[in-house]
Amino acid sequence: MANSTGMNAISKESKEVNAVQLCDVVKSFGPTKALRGLNLELKQGEIHALLGPNGAGKTTAIGVMTGIRKSNSGSVSILGGYPWEKSIRLQVGLTPQESGFPDNLRVSEILDLVKSHFPKPMTDDELFARFPLEKLKNKQTGGLSGGQKRLLAVALSFIGNPNLVFLDEPTTGLDVESRQNIWRAILDYRGSGGTVVLTTHYLEEAEALASRIVVINEGKKLTDGSLEQIRDLVGNSRVSYRGDLPTMLDGATHIKQQDDRVIIITNDSDLVIRSMVRNDLEFQDLQIRPANLEEAFFTLIDNSRQK
Amino acid sequence: MILYQYFKTCLLGLIRTPSYSLVTILVPSVIFVIVGVTFSDSRQEANFALGSFCVFSSLGVAFFQFGVGIANDRESPWEQYARVLPVHPLSRLLATILASLVFVSVSICILIVVAFLTTDIGMPTNSWLKMLFGVFVGVFPLAAMGLTIGYWCSPKGALPVANLLYIILAFLGGIFFHPSLMPEFMNSISIFTPVRHIVNLTQAGISGEPWTTEPFLILLAYTILFLILATMGYRRDEAIKYR
Repeated sequence: MANSTGMNAISKESKEVNAVQLCDVVKSFGPTKALRGLNLELKQGEIHALLGPNGAGKTTAIGVMTGIRKSNSGSVSILGGYPWEKSIRLQVGLTPQESGFPDNLRVSEILDLVKSHFPKPMTDDELFARFPLEKLKNKQTGGLSGGQKRLLAVALSFIGNPNLVFLDEPTTGLDVESRQNIWRAILDYRGSGGTVVLTTHYLEEAEALASRIVVINEGKKLTDGSLEQIRDLVGNSRVSYRGDLPTMLDGATHIKQQDDRVIIITNDSDLVIRSMVRNDLEFQDLQIRPANLEEAFFTLIDNSRQK
Repeated sequence: MILYQYFKTCLLGLIRTPSYSLVTILVPSVIFVIVGVTFSDSRQEANFALGSFCVFSSLGVAFFQFGVGIANDRESPWEQYARVLPVHPLSRLLATILASLVFVSVSICILIVVAFLTTDIGMPTNSWLKMLFGVFVGVFPLAAMGLTIGYWCSPKGALPVANLLYIILAFLGGIFFHPSLMPEFMNSISIFTPVRHIVNLTQAGISGEPWTTEPFLILLAYTILFLILATMGYRRDEAIKYR
């Protein structure tokens, strides 16, 4: 795409600065501790996915990184500066909540307004090449569908040609086509050297987009690594069958009952099958397949709870 | 550029809400026809009434666009987004002020036309200019009061509070009838309202009486007082919302 020039005017030395550096960040809302000493080091040029169950602190973490919220203690550094500094904000792209557009402004008016904040924004052509908004540009935002609003919200985070983009659940509740559009734009942006930090409920989304994964639970980092590393950490195979639920099994990292099936996550499916046979377990309809991130991720959290 | 964009979107947002913009712009003219005209037996009385209703226009915009508008915006998700864009909050406030000035000007122009059609107004150019300058000076304390309402009242509370103060200040400030017609006790309260001092300025401007520094100083003091209150409200709101 012709718009990759100027997308990243980062010099070589600033490339070495971490996109996000959080050191022991604590954030409470009254008695509730949303972040309990969060440490993060997110490099530039990657797509980082923050994963975690509801209430894990993902959105608060994004709030602290974008300067919407102030941490109680710990240090926050974005591209080597404070998130609320103007020089930093000029390099950062954010999405508004899609419910939040002023109803009676047109799409083109919103685009122009946000564009005017940045020194080298995308041209309309560049923007419309990535986000199918051209047909909507004369519509008032009050008349857009949920998916169209979300597309506009995500487009706004890229409009200033930022070096770093934060996306809090960019495709939650969207239909397949809108989701594909947004995924394509994110991957495109990374292709031109941009950095993305996103939170998501869809593990499928993290698998499709992310090069690095951070798992957050109860306001702390549980683990981080590449997609493969996270999978290896918890088991890369999923064995399932209908039959007896064992309490313990050699080789299993995680065992649970889901509907009428027993599901076992493991690094060594052969060992699991052998011990199932050795223990004389009743089983039918045995299936073995690679575990997906969702399974890997819940295993991780369950295991950390048990500790 | 950025200021122009905020000014434009602010103005467009208001214009595309006619239930807001038409009412705010036309109410002073409508009430002038109902009330102002009856107190306009002589040319000079009509002139005075016009001056007072011009102040009424700025009072309405200050309280409803500023007061109620800001209270509503404070809670909007869009506002939270705009807050983290690289723009100084005062630039955005300035854009809002400029948009309000457009509204006040339109409202006053209509009012003047209505006054020409319904009464026998007429004064020398010098008086016109001084009257309008008095109205302009009055915009500052009124806008500061509007900001105070906007930053201290909840979105639901702002409208009734603004309505109440709007009516009370219009009555006590001597907009609906000349302060000389007020009963003594009302007059003694009236002199404590900023509106009364703005009305006095316009009337001195119309009658050609020399202006003294006193009303200017009083209005300056009110402006500073309400700006401090508004700033306190703003800080309090920020502390609650973005802690």
